[in-house]
Amino acid sequence: MAGTELQILKGITLEIKSGESVAIIGASGSGKSTLLGLLAGLDEATSGSVEINGIDLGALDEDGRARFRGQHIGFVFQSFQLLPALTAQENVMLPLELQHQDNAAQQAQHYLRRVGLGERMTHYPLQLSGGEQQRVALARAFASKPAILFADEPTGNLDTITGDTIIDLLFELNREEGTTLVLVTHDQTLAQRCQRRLRLDAGALVME
Amino acid sequence: MSITATKMLVRDWRGGELGVLVMALVLAVGVVSGISAFTTRLQSALVQESHRFLAADMVVNSGRELPQSWIQQAQDDGLQTAQTLIFPSMVYVGEENMSLASIKAVSDAYPLRGQLNYSSEPFAAVQPVHRGPERGQVWLDSRLFALLDVAVGDRITIGEAEFEVAAAARNEPDQSSSFYSYGPRVLMNYDDIPATGVVQPGSRVEYRQLYAGSPAALATFVDWLTPQLGDGQQIVTLDEGQPGIGSALDRAESFLLLAGSLAVVLAGVAVALAARRFSERHHDYVAIIKSLGATSGTVNWLYGSSLLLLGAVATVLGCLLGWGMQALFFYLFADQMPVQPGPSGLRPYAIGAVTSLTCLLCFAWPPLRRLAYASPLRVLRRDLPLENRRAINDYALGLLAVTLLMWWYSQDWKLTLAVLAGLVLTVGLGFCLALTLLRGGRLVGMSAGSIWRLALAGLQRRGTANALQVVIFSMAIMMLLMLLLVRTSLIDEWQAQLPVDTPNHFMINVGPEDVPAIEEVLGAHHIVSEPFFPMIRGRIMSVNGEELASTDDVQEERRQREINFTWSDELPADNRLVSGQWWQPGTDEALVSLEEQFAERVGAKVGDTVGFLVGSQPLQARVASIRALQWQSMRPNFFLIFPPRLLESYPATYMTSFHLPAADKRFLNQFVRQFPTVTVIEMDIVIEQIRTIVNQVSAAINLVLIVILAAGGLVLVAGVQASVDARIHESAILRALGARRNLILGGLLIEFATMGLFAGLLASVAAEFSVYILQTRVMDMHYTPTPWIWPLGILLGALVIGGLGVFSCRRVVSTAPVMVLREL
Repeated sequence: MAGTELQILKGITLEIKSGESVAIIGASGSGKSTLLGLLAGLDEATSGSVEINGIDLGALDEDGRARFRGQHIGFVFQSFQLLPALTAQENVMLPLELQHQDNAAQQAQHYLRRVGLGERMTHYPLQLSGGEQQRVALARAFASKPAILFADEPTGNLDTITGDTIIDLLFELNREEGTTLVLVTHDQTLAQRCQRRLRLDAGALVME
Repeated sequence: MSITATKMLVRDWRGGELGVLVMALVLAVGVVSGISAFTTRLQSALVQESHRFLAADMVVNSGRELPQSWIQQAQDDGLQTAQTLIFPSMVYVGEENMSLASIKAVSDAYPLRGQLNYSSEPFAAVQPVHRGPERGQVWLDSRLFALLDVAVGDRITIGEAEFEVAAAARNEPDQSSSFYSYGPRVLMNYDDIPATGVVQPGSRVEYRQLYAGSPAALATFVDWLTPQLGDGQQIVTLDEGQPGIGSALDRAESFLLLAGSLAVVLAGVAVALAARRFSERHHDYVAIIKSLGATSGTVNWLYGSSLLLLGAVATVLGCLLGWGMQALFFYLFADQMPVQPGPSGLRPYAIGAVTSLTCLLCFAWPPLRRLAYASPLRVLRRDLPLENRRAINDYALGLLAVTLLMWWYSQDWKLTLAVLAGLVLTVGLGFCLALTLLRGGRLVGMSAGSIWRLALAGLQRRGTANALQVVIFSMAIMMLLMLLLVRTSLIDEWQAQLPVDTPNHFMINVGPEDVPAIEEVLGAHHIVSEPFFPMIRGRIMSVNGEELASTDDVQEERRQREINFTWSDELPADNRLVSGQWWQPGTDEALVSLEEQFAERVGAKVGDTVGFLVGSQPLQARVASIRALQWQSMRPNFFLIFPPRLLESYPATYMTSFHLPAADKRFLNQFVRQFPTVTVIEMDIVIEQIRTIVNQVSAAINLVLIVILAAGGLVLVAGVQASVDARIHESAILRALGARRNLILGGLLIEFATMGLFAGLLASVAAEFSVYILQTRVMDMHYTPTPWIWPLGILLGALVIGGLGVFSCRRVVSTAPVMVLREL
């Protein structure tokens, strides 16, 4: 917007420990997605810094952050974000291939079986239900063995029962892999399952 | 990653824009390589066709016998050879009948190029043949049958030898050089020359050695031969100023190059549009893979390799298409071709590949390259816009690429600039006009019914994008109209030049006293002839007192030449003054009017004084005007015209041309008997050949037009598709809100048809402008306004774009709205 500067996040200081699970909650427009984008290195902060494993994300350029994401970060999105041109297995293989891992196919198959899609590996996203698509997204997120998993309203597009199954699966996998979990949601019940909850209110962070 | 690239391509085929991208590339490569191969092959055919006028690829002539060792050397070099000898001689039948004839003795291999035409009876239907008379036989000019009172099977005497009359000699490939020879033709076998005993040292004879073969072998032989040429021995090249089909073919070539250039522009635009849409659709993909760790390098590599893969496939398909088009053409017209077209070589396909590569680099790559800068944040926030800062550079790059490609392809700045001027006019004017008109639409449409309100609101909301679309539509329509106009005027002009009653016979050597009688005979037989022109043979000697080089100096353009003069008080009907002024009737001044190319050749301008020799008398005249002629008209044409009073005292014969239908050819039997001194020259065979070539070239032009229409159609499809996503999305929402099928389709139809209407209007303006430049500056034709393209352009725009728009969006009413919304 010409002439007006919008401050979305104000004075947020936040430290997340390795292996911790943290929920960020807040109403629509409170800045949850912006904060997630910054934490995950998808966006650059106009001021302030984000450090993961001692690496200052602000010091990296976009390609540097992309490599960092590929190595350390996994994502689960509200709208699944699978590539429609690729099969379930190919979608899971994608981050592994981007890191030039040799056994991408076996790993992808392993994780797809783990999320209960062993029979659906060659299906395209449009042939899968919403819940199944989110399982593929989970398999993709964990297949690259990320240090931190960012989940953005992972059940936002799913009905309650399917959503609960997905969340169970997410926490199960999280425990098995020992991943740090940062979960953005407006769902209190879901947030209760995390070890720590932070509330964003008009861009400011409030501990719960 | 290459698996990903391939899979991505295969799956994206469904999206439509990849299909357009590939089709556009295939068409660009196909048209460019096809036209290029076509012109290469046609040109080689025409070179052969022109060699027909020599009956060989190269000829050496001399007034004395030429060394037989040359023939031997030529054969060792891999050339075909033949020999001819032309000499005047009396031909006798018994004691009482005799006639002076121009005898041509030809060896068995003659002619090496072209064919001889003969007929079993004088003036009967001609038959082509590839060798002359057998030993002991002669073929006589049709009119000799009447002059000597003989029939086929009778015997005639030349010198000491007797021959059987076997056929009527009708037409030789290299006849033009004997146009004003000593009399009617007698063809005999070369080996019979000694038996006649008439050719003695010192006789007025012309020996010719004819050679034909590959250009390389010919070059080797010429290198060997040139130092050995003695006095009076010369290499004959093609006759300059050969009247005929030259300019028609030049224009056809201009047309084909124009068409090819337009194909490149159209394909470029289609490729750019398709790539842009492809890139917009892939914005989300890129955001996802970037969030998963793909760097901009990876993204570039992914899309770069996809593009190369596509380009390779499209190039191969395009070359196949180009090859197929020209092969089909030559296959369809094979039996009408006077000669076999030569091979095209690989160059046309290389040109096609370069075109493809340029289109990919300059039109497809810029929007795809921008994908690498897409923000991964889009995975969280879909409303993030695409980075568009470099778009203006893309347009500049595209324009530069189009200009260079057109120039490289046509090698003609004027042609390139004419098209470019039209394009710039369309884009500039179009954008302003479209914005203004579309803005005005709100005022007009607001009170109209709901369909109209919907449509006009749609137009309004995307004002800038729509203006851009209108410009693209009008560019495509403009080029199609332009090509249609040029094609129509070209073909009309050709047909006007050779109407059915084109004079197909010349009559020369008409004594002044015979003119009234001949006019009467022609009139009695309802034969339409041109006026009789007086004709005097003379020689141009000097320009502004400076002597020209001697006639024998064939290397020199500015040399003394034997030519035909005429006189007239009026400018002949189809002559056009290029400079200077026509004289007042009855002038006493010593003036002359020169033909344009002749004046250029001898280096004379209006106001210069030119010296002539008529008979043995010198004559000086000032150049009063320069004229352009239509050599194709087959009417008597003269390089030089004088005012009547200047030449009246010189002895003249008369000439004319007339049209004689094939069925009436036997009239000539009686005519030559009645006027034995008049020479009738049959041009009907040549005119038929010209007509055939013109028909073939017209067919080629129509074929190319169809292909370009397809390219233009593709641009329209790509242009419509460019905005389909947004429109489908909105329509799906409307439909979800309960809008009826007819309301949505009607709204879309009005929206697209309105754009098409504006585009058609703009296109008509720009096409008229470009055609004006093309016809007056590039193709040397007369410009006439073409009011009929205006309604055509506007109607075409509204109907085609309206139809295409609705067709492309039909999914929105045939599929559940939720499906549509989910897919987008």
